[in-house]
Amino acid sequence: MNREELAEKLDREIDGFIERNTLSEPAPLDVPFQVPAELRLLPYLPSEEFRARLKEELLEQAESLRSSRVYASSEILPSLNQPSVPSFSTRQIAVLPADPRSLVLSFLSHAAVVALIASGIWVGHVTLVEKRTLLSELTYTPLPAAKGGGGGGDRSAMRASRGTPVKFADDQFAPPAIVVHVEKPKLQRDATLIGPPDLKLPQSKQPGDLFSPNAVIPSNGTGNRGGIGDGVGTGISTGHGLGDGPGLERGYGGGVYPPGNGVTAPHVIYNPDPEYADEARRIKYQGNVVLSLIVDPLGKVRQIRVARSLGMGLDEKAVEAVQKWRFVPGMKDGRPVAVQVNVEVTFRLY
Amino acid sequence: MRTLEGNSDDRPLIEAAQNEPARFAELYEQNFVRVYAFFARRVSTRDEAQDLTAEVFHQALASIRSFTWQGSPFVAWLYGIAANVLAKHWEKLGKHSAQELGDLSSAGDEIERTVMLGKAVESLLPDQKRVIVRRFVDQKSIREIAQELGRSEGAVKQLQLRALENLRQRLGGTI
Repeated sequence: MNREELAEKLDREIDGFIERNTLSEPAPLDVPFQVPAELRLLPYLPSEEFRARLKEELLEQAESLRSSRVYASSEILPSLNQPSVPSFSTRQIAVLPADPRSLVLSFLSHAAVVALIASGIWVGHVTLVEKRTLLSELTYTPLPAAKGGGGGGDRSAMRASRGTPVKFADDQFAPPAIVVHVEKPKLQRDATLIGPPDLKLPQSKQPGDLFSPNAVIPSNGTGNRGGIGDGVGTGISTGHGLGDGPGLERGYGGGVYPPGNGVTAPHVIYNPDPEYADEARRIKYQGNVVLSLIVDPLGKVRQIRVARSLGMGLDEKAVEAVQKWRFVPGMKDGRPVAVQVNVEVTFRLY
Repeated sequence: MRTLEGNSDDRPLIEAAQNEPARFAELYEQNFVRVYAFFARRVSTRDEAQDLTAEVFHQALASIRSFTWQGSPFVAWLYGIAANVLAKHWEKLGKHSAQELGDLSSAGDEIERTVMLGKAVESLLPDQKRVIVRRFVDQKSIREIAQELGRSEGAVKQLQLRALENLRQRLGGTI
């Protein structure tokens, strides 16, 4: 048998060897040389990926231990209840004393699972993906001062009435108005706000401040210099300028705020689960993805980026799902604003 | 060959991990292969071996502060946890009773041979190692590996043959 034939035969043997996928009935390779028996263990060597992932999990566990009070007090830590140098006797393994608290906890958790199954709430999902926002655990990068926005009004006694922004354009020939003081202008032009023309916001026939509490009485608002709102300028809202929002100059939104200092955190109201990536499921790959994103004043998710990657296609699955999430937006001075938050998505297989 | 006799090198690492849990990573790196090898010989699939290995290290980290240094290597303590984890695993599967664990006192030698296999694979030439890992550990077909390496299937089979011959040579004296 030449080397080519030997390589072919060896490969066929290896195919069968891998397909059997069991250590309990190992079959020696039927090749003209004796392959050391230890090679039967080759399919069971751990993947480097697993090794690295487990290390990451342990570091996370270490971090939570370090920060927990439990770790600060060694008396609270449960002991393994066994000597530091174990003797490998079957007796010791078989008669390990059970902690009564464990028994109670075990009983309660099993009872809860049985109840869930009986109630039909739990229908036997193989995969459970947890997700939670990490709003309190973040160190926020300082954000630039608020930008984008406008305001206006005609010094009305009433706050500007609620409506939708008019369209954005590069120029403004006519400011938006609800209460029209010039009934028949000589030159009829559509009202615009200064901002990117492709910026799309909710539109209706009724212009106004999208977030105003005044939904009843028509008013241009308590601001001045035209426009609609309680700010200054020919825009809409409480800002200062020709755009829409609590910010300055033009555009929309009033910038992005971190939670705190008078800005409330967004609250998630719709959060569909991510799917599990096939490859990750196959190798039981688990862990956390942290996404950094902006929740805009309408509660929609903008500008997602992966702040802590997990890999194996799970980052993409997390982004895909979180893109669909909806929030109650963060509030500042009673108005919704864009808020930057991080969201942690935990992938676990049960 | 590492034995289960005392190893004073472990002590500073253990004390460091007891004071700062993140330092457990060093104990993990030092003992991972042995704990994994303990399971690789006793379960049917790689997934099981990986799950049980993870369980041992999570338990060990959670209880590291209760460890009392008595002159024995840290890995002996890990083997103790591993034996309990395995016993529970088997009981759950209903395949074995705890008694079937048998006498584990010879576990050290078996484990060391598995560790040597891992080291032998590590010492292969890069191309040979890649073929062995992709073929056996990742269980890829020759065709997939050939595409990945940009070589013909025949060339990959030859690489596989040479790699196994080298492994045989390196492990031959220990079997």
